[in-house]
Amino acid sequence: MLRDITLGQYFPGDTLIHRLDPRTKILVVILYIIALFISTSYVTYAIMASLLIAEVTIARIKFSTLLKSVRPILFIIVLTVVLNAFYTPGEPIFSFWIFTLTREGLRTALFMAARLVLLVMSSFMLTYTTSPIMLTDGLESLLSPLKRLGAPVHELAMMMSIALRFIPTLIEETQKIMSAQKARGAEFDTGSIIDKARALLPILVPLFISSFRRADELAVAMESRCYHGGEGRTKLHELKFRGIDYAALAIMALALVSVIVLRNVGAVGIGGIDS
Amino acid sequence: MTDYAIKTEDLTFWYTPEEGQEPRKVLEDVNIGIEKGRFTCILGHNGSGKSTLARHFNALNLPRGGTVYAFGMDTKDEALTLDIRRALGMVFQNPDNQIVSNVVEEDVAFAPENLGIPQKEIRERVDEALRTVGMYEFRTHAPHLLSGGQKQRIAIAGVLAMRPECVVFDEATAMLDPRGRADVMDIIRRLRAGGVTVVLITHHMDEAVSADRIIVMDKGRCVLAGTPRDIFSYPEELKSLGLTVPDTVKLINGLDKSGFNIRKDAITISECAEAVAAAITDPVPVSHREPEKETPEGEPVLSVQDLTYTYSKNTPFELTAVRNISFDVRRGEVIALLGHTGSGKSTLIQHLNGLIKPSSGKILLSGEDINSSKDSLRRARSRVGLVFQYPEYQLFEETVYKDIAFGPKNQKLSDGEIDKRVRDAARFVGIGEELFEASPFELSGGQKRRIAIAGVIAMMPEVLILDEPMAGLDPAGRDEIMRNLLAYRDETGAALIIVTHSMEDAAMFATRMIVLSHGEKIMDGLPSEVFAREEELESVGLTVPAATKIARELVKRGLPLGGTYYTVDYLMRSVLRLKGGDGNAS
Repeated sequence: MLRDITLGQYFPGDTLIHRLDPRTKILVVILYIIALFISTSYVTYAIMASLLIAEVTIARIKFSTLLKSVRPILFIIVLTVVLNAFYTPGEPIFSFWIFTLTREGLRTALFMAARLVLLVMSSFMLTYTTSPIMLTDGLESLLSPLKRLGAPVHELAMMMSIALRFIPTLIEETQKIMSAQKARGAEFDTGSIIDKARALLPILVPLFISSFRRADELAVAMESRCYHGGEGRTKLHELKFRGIDYAALAIMALALVSVIVLRNVGAVGIGGIDS
Repeated sequence: MTDYAIKTEDLTFWYTPEEGQEPRKVLEDVNIGIEKGRFTCILGHNGSGKSTLARHFNALNLPRGGTVYAFGMDTKDEALTLDIRRALGMVFQNPDNQIVSNVVEEDVAFAPENLGIPQKEIRERVDEALRTVGMYEFRTHAPHLLSGGQKQRIAIAGVLAMRPECVVFDEATAMLDPRGRADVMDIIRRLRAGGVTVVLITHHMDEAVSADRIIVMDKGRCVLAGTPRDIFSYPEELKSLGLTVPDTVKLINGLDKSGFNIRKDAITISECAEAVAAAITDPVPVSHREPEKETPEGEPVLSVQDLTYTYSKNTPFELTAVRNISFDVRRGEVIALLGHTGSGKSTLIQHLNGLIKPSSGKILLSGEDINSSKDSLRRARSRVGLVFQYPEYQLFEETVYKDIAFGPKNQKLSDGEIDKRVRDAARFVGIGEELFEASPFELSGGQKRRIAIAGVIAMMPEVLILDEPMAGLDPAGRDEIMRNLLAYRDETGAALIIVTHSMEDAAMFATRMIVLSHGEKIMDGLPSEVFAREEELESVGLTVPAATKIARELVKRGLPLGGTYYTVDYLMRSVLRLKGGDGNAS
């Protein structure tokens, strides 16, 4: 049951998208999100959507998998759509009780939904096609200028990769502790909320203790393997920008420029309603 | 002059005590020298200070008194710390807690990365280290999907990538199954052959047999040091130190005491057989079966019928963990459940108290299907007790008493009954009432283990299942737990099902043995029946007890020894019979 959590799930592969430098992918996602937020016309949304479809096709990720990524925020999308559709002033199409559907509202709702869906999907594509370790490496490298300001960039990246490494271990451990306490007659799904909260103690206490023990042992093992902070460290996989990275960034930049140019083409946008 | 990899001079150490308390010396005036290029074993019971000693070798701990030299470098000199740690790699007990990265090769690269080695050379070192431990094919895998033994090999590769001159294994075999242990021992042999100094800290006497030198620790002091032959010629002293001697030595010492004129320096199986064969000139044929332990009869209390379980059904990860398993459990039986890692043992035992529901098949408890209703499931939870591996990691209450009382409380018993149950359970596992108000977290590893077992015994199960209850304990601790469990069986008539990797343990206690392989039951019978199928056992990653191996070697050397043997005691009696009446000849 806990295994089903797809936190930062990575689907290994060897496609063009998988082989991109993680920094490229992070930068592209940032630019993509910026473009989404200034996108205000059917044309620009069409550009954004086709970019994503192209990426998904090249990366050979199943569209059904990608659709699942939207499920957790489905409620937010529906809420946004409803609020925008019925509460945007404009030319009414349909009216019922206190709800009035307007042409402008419908359009805004559609854009908002598209924006949210594309936002989530593009971010998920990043984690689907980039191994967690590459992702942390990429972040560390992109943030490295902050080191000069004294920010603990290496330490944060190391913490993040250790956290990712231990998620499956701790999930397994939680399941084992739950089973062990169930074997002693503990029940986790009966009684009042207070009973249920109290029933968590026999799981949480051992889990905390074991996490501290693990942290302690890991620290000793890391020290034994000559870990002494980020200074003077080299990398097995050095990050390197190659031709396809420049190409990917260029395509994204081009898309961003066209979004800026075309944002007022077609009709009114969400930002500026000139009716 | 001998060349030492590690040398300690009057090493004394204590941990910073809590305020107002006297420091307790963990190490006291330890003077040892570990020679370069040799394989040295450090033995000692739990809490004898051997791991603390090892932590001084690479400057993880610094001496409070005296000095430690690693390859001539004083560990107190901070400028040398990295040089020392590079030259002297250390592998620890729990493979999970040594792996930093979620890609195998990235993890192995961790140490060379820290040392600032150029990228191209890191690649070479990583590949070389992974090949040495036989895990090269797994270089892009995620470590959490590997077995314990494989993970430990990754951890070893992570150390070898530093190209150390000495590798210290701190109980690195304690959590592994026989196959995993054999793999680690094999790596140790290859390292030593390649000129690397190896130090192994262990509880397993059979691992110490292949060492060049043994150091025995007790109460923070080095009490014995010498070759395995020297050390194992002091069985009484070892016993008083909470240790034991290998079964080969036990046999020879026993024969020697019975007036047998025998060479006493044999420690390996073949040396032992050779020595015994040499001492018998005129053998009298013997064909005695080892007497079986009493096999209880009667109606089965627990009955497993055609059990099959499939994980993640209808997904790409579908895996049938157990298939068509049937067996009955009778009161008073002691069943050893054997099988390699991944054979389905854990999945099987979690069915017996309803933690997992079968995909098909039934589990009957006194004739009632435990999954037929919520009530029967609840009854099954208290009538079938299940103790997981390393149960001490599930302790959570403030006091020992409260922790043991958790199960009976969940059974909704009266306060008086709960109190009685706690006291009885504590008595069964040898925990004195003076410890009732102590925090379980302040106690020793062995005590925690027994308290955790008491927590299940307090529910008074009629079938008590334990997953590797003796794992990681020293020989004295193992004996004690086994005695406790058998006492519970004798007094209450409960059946015991014990999952174990140790054939010697299984031979000692089991009235019956069940062997699983790849989710199927491949053997189910008396110990003599199971141990007679030695080749089949080996083909599924298991082994036979040392006594069985010695007996086989004796037959190979032409001695007329019939039957199957699996305990040293009985083999010894038969060897005495072989020799005939004249105990003085030869």
